Amino acid sequence: MLHGTAASEGIGIGKVMIIEENSLEYTPKTVTDTDAELKRFKDAVEVFCNNTLKQAEQLRKSAGEKEAEILEGHIQIIKDPYLSGEIEKLIEGGQCAEAALEQMCDMFIAMFSATDDELTKQRAADVRDIKSGVLSVLLGVQEVRVSDAPKGTILAAHELTPSVTAGINKDNIVGIITETGGKTSHSAILARALEIPAVLSVDGVISQLKTGDDVIVDGCAGDVIINPDQAEVEKYNEKRSQFLQVRRELENYRGKETLDASGTEYELVCNIGKPDDAAKAIECDGEGVGLFRTEFLFMDRTSVPTEDEQFEAYKKAALILKDKPLIIRTLDIGGDKEIPYLGLEKEENPFMGFRAIRFCLKNKDLFKSQIRAILRASAFGNIKIMFPLVTCVEELRQGKALVEEVKKELDEADIKYDKNIAVGVMMETSAAAVIADKLAKEADFFSIGTNDLTGYTMACDRGNSNVSYLYSPLQPSVLRLIKYIIECGVQNNIPVGMCGEAAANEMMIPLLISFGLTEFSVSAPSVLKVRKVISTWTKEKADKVTQKVMSLDTEKEITDYLSTVI
Amino acid sequence: MVSKKITLANAQGFHMRPASVFSTAMGKYACEITIKFNGNDYNGKSLLNIIAACIKCGSEIEIVCDGVDENEALAEAVKLIESGLGE
Repeated sequence: MLHGTAASEGIGIGKVMIIEENSLEYTPKTVTDTDAELKRFKDAVEVFCNNTLKQAEQLRKSAGEKEAEILEGHIQIIKDPYLSGEIEKLIEGGQCAEAALEQMCDMFIAMFSATDDELTKQRAADVRDIKSGVLSVLLGVQEVRVSDAPKGTILAAHELTPSVTAGINKDNIVGIITETGGKTSHSAILARALEIPAVLSVDGVISQLKTGDDVIVDGCAGDVIINPDQAEVEKYNEKRSQFLQVRRELENYRGKETLDASGTEYELVCNIGKPDDAAKAIECDGEGVGLFRTEFLFMDRTSVPTEDEQFEAYKKAALILKDKPLIIRTLDIGGDKEIPYLGLEKEENPFMGFRAIRFCLKNKDLFKSQIRAILRASAFGNIKIMFPLVTCVEELRQGKALVEEVKKELDEADIKYDKNIAVGVMMETSAAAVIADKLAKEADFFSIGTNDLTGYTMACDRGNSNVSYLYSPLQPSVLRLIKYIIECGVQNNIPVGMCGEAAANEMMIPLLISFGLTEFSVSAPSVLKVRKVISTWTKEKADKVTQKVMSLDTEKEITDYLSTVI
Repeated sequence: MVSKKITLANAQGFHMRPASVFSTAMGKYACEITIKFNGNDYNGKSLLNIIAACIKCGSEIEIVCDGVDENEALAEAVKLIESGLGE
C-alpha cells in the first residue's frame, strides 16, 4: 500500500490510465527563414489560445467559474508582451520556436519556483502547462485526451495540469493519483469540485504503475492499493457504498435552513483561521463565521502587521461573506507561541499567564490598531468583535472603552464603520462562566469556547496522556457551566453561540438545544452533519434527555446514557 | 520621465488578478513603464514580470513612466493601485 495526501474524499476502484508527459522532445535547430519561423510561433499561439478557450468552457460547466478563470489566465500569460517579445527576439536571432519558447518559459518557471511565496510558486505550474501546451501544437503532438477514457478509469500523472483536468468526464473518471501537489493545489481543488476521490503527492507512484493495472484510491485515508486481492476489493467496495450513502444523505441538507424538529431556527456558522477560509465556509454551506482567529496575521513574520494589512485581511473575509455574520476574535496569543517581535517572555505556565486580552490591554497601541482595522472593515460586511480569555468584568469594560475610543477617532477622521458593531465575550474560562450573569449585562453576545473552558475547569491538559481522561465537555462540572452561561444569555436577551469542538459533538447537540444555544460554530466540513443532527431533535425530546443527563453523577454515566439515545 | 512612490494596499499583493488588471491597463500606453521594487526594475506591462517581483501588501514601490504619454500613464497607474486593482 502506498500513501499520499488525502486531497478529495471518497473511494475509487478502477483501472489505471497513466498520463505520459515525455512526448514533447525535439531537436533544436538553427533557422534561416526567421519570418517563417515567427509566423509558425504566432500560429501555434493562436491555436493554443483557441484550445484553451474551449477547455475553459468545458471546465466552466464541469467544475465552475474559478477553475475556468485559471485556464483563461493562461491566454493572458502567453500573450504577455514581455514574454512574447523576448521569444520573438530569440527567434529573430535564429533559434527555432520550440527552443525559444522553452528558454523563456523555463526562466520564469525557475524564477517563480525560487520565491518563498506559495501563490507565486503555483504560477510556475501554470507556465509549465503553457509551455507543454504550445510545444504540443508546434510539434503536432496530440495532447492526451482524457475525455476518451472509459468508465472506471483512475488517472495517474506526475502532475495534473489544468488543461488535462478540463477534459475530465466525471462519470468515467473514478479516481486521481499524482506525484505532486498538496491539499490546496489546483488538482486538489478541482478533484473536490468534481467529487472525484484523489490522493496526491504519492512519491514515485508512476514508476510502480502501468496503464491497465487495477488500483484502489482511498481519498479519505490517502491510501493507494495497486493490484488489490479479492478481499481488499470487497472491503473497499463496502467502504465506498457507505461513504456514498452518508454523502448523499448529507447533501439533502445543503442549502437548507438549520431547524430542529420543533421548527426553531439556529445559526450554523464556521470557525476559520484565514480570510480565504471564508470561501471554504461558504462552499461547505456555512451561514457565516462564528470565530475568525486572527493569530495568523501575527505569526511567521518579524514585525507587527500594520493596521492596513489587518484591515485588508478582515475586509477580504467580510466581502466574501457579504451580509453573513463574521465574528472576529482579537489577538489570542501568549508565551506558548514564539513571536520574538512581541517581546513575550517564556513563562512557566503560559496558559495561566500574560496572554490574549490581558496582553492586549497592556499593549494598547497594538490592540487599538487591531480594533481600528476591524472597525474599518465593518463598513464592508456584518462584523462583530469578540474578546478572548475574559475572566472579570473590568476586562470587558476596558476592551469596550477602547472600542469607543477608536470609534471617536474614526469619526474625527471621517472614516466609515458600523456604529452599532456588537462586542462580545468568548466564554472560555470558569471565572467568566461563574459571573456570566454580570457579563451578560454588558456584552452584546457570548460565544462559548469549550476547548479551553473544559481544560481550565478540569485543570487538565488534554495533551498530557496521564490526565487527558479528565478532558471532556460532558463532565458534569463543565455541563453546569455551559448551562449557566446559556441561561444567563437567554435571561439578558443576548445570543449565545458555541465555537469549540463540542458544538459539532452529536452527544452535546441535544443538551445545547435544550439549554437554549442560538448559534453553532463548527469546522466547515462538519456543517451538513451538524445541520442533520440538529434536525432530528424536538425541544421536548432534547429537554427530557437533558434533564436526565443533568441528574447523573459522572461523565461515564452521561456518555453511556447519551449513547443509548442518539 | 515622471515617477511616483506608492504603497501597495491589496491584501493579496501583486498576484495573478491584480497584476493582470495592471499590466493590461498599462499595455495601452506607448511610454515605457517600470516598477522599481527592492532595488530591481520590472516591466510594468508584463504580467509575468510583475508576478515574479513578488510584491506583497504594504510594500512601497516606485512607478516610473518614460515616453510621450508618461503623465497619463502614471496617473492611471496610481489610480489603479489606490483603488485596489479590482480586488
